[in-house]
Amino acid sequence: MELELPVFRAYRGTEPPRFASPAELECAKVLDYYDVPWQYEPRTFVLEEDAEGRVTEAFTPDFYLPEQDLYVEITAMKQSLVTRKNRKLRKLRERYPDVRIKLFYRRDLERLAQHFRLDLAS
Amino acid sequence: MHELGAEIARDYAGREPVLVASLKASVVFVADLSRAIPIVHALDFVELAGYGSAGMGGHQQIRVLKDLDLDVRGRDVVLVEDVVDTGLTLHYLVRTLELRRPASVAAVTLLDRPYRRLVDDLPVRYVGFVVPDELFVGYGFDVDERYRELPDLHLLNL
Repeated sequence: MELELPVFRAYRGTEPPRFASPAELECAKVLDYYDVPWQYEPRTFVLEEDAEGRVTEAFTPDFYLPEQDLYVEITAMKQSLVTRKNRKLRKLRERYPDVRIKLFYRRDLERLAQHFRLDLAS
Repeated sequence: MHELGAEIARDYAGREPVLVASLKASVVFVADLSRAIPIVHALDFVELAGYGSAGMGGHQQIRVLKDLDLDVRGRDVVLVEDVVDTGLTLHYLVRTLELRRPASVAAVTLLDRPYRRLVDDLPVRYVGFVVPDELFVGYGFDVDERYRELPDLHLLNL
């Protein structure tokens, strides 16, 4: 389903963002609301390569906040389903120790939703 | 409260800072904090429209519902927050205040959740309690405008 996008003021990307979930869209709206510059999926990190140098595993965080130099990964999945994503983040931190990244879990989104009264029902 | 007040009084001795509390949740906190700071200081309030508040319509951008009454140019400003979480609200407040050329801007918060920060470059100098990722009501904290009146903080079990 294609999500209807507003005009973002703090978006610093070149291509229109194509959000994978309503939760990502709502987080983008929050960042925009507070005028925190953000980019959507600007970089893919290689996590594993085979002997020939072909990429076998990669990870693309959802958001990058350039003023904070911080990547943010949003997951609305249930806690039991985020193990794979956690493993990828661990690998990313091992391979790119200078990269700052935060994972926002379902419970974090629910807290954010309560704080900012978002609609994350879908 | 007395520890926070004494710390602020020590740091701002002879400088007559302005406490700027963001409405509404920090009202109870700032009332107690102000009385715990044994130096002369001013008090002012600011209110920002929360994300998703009624009647905003269309694409939203933060806006000030109640601006400062005082001129803070050249003054030492201490922002008083109920809680610092993602840091988005405080980040906006600090940037807005800095346009008015205060001598300095620092922040005091009753509750802090530093592990949830999206914005790190914040002048949070005084922290009451670092708290777990739970919801609180009472002592000015609300759920849909209820329970602010409770005299103490309570953990909300949903």
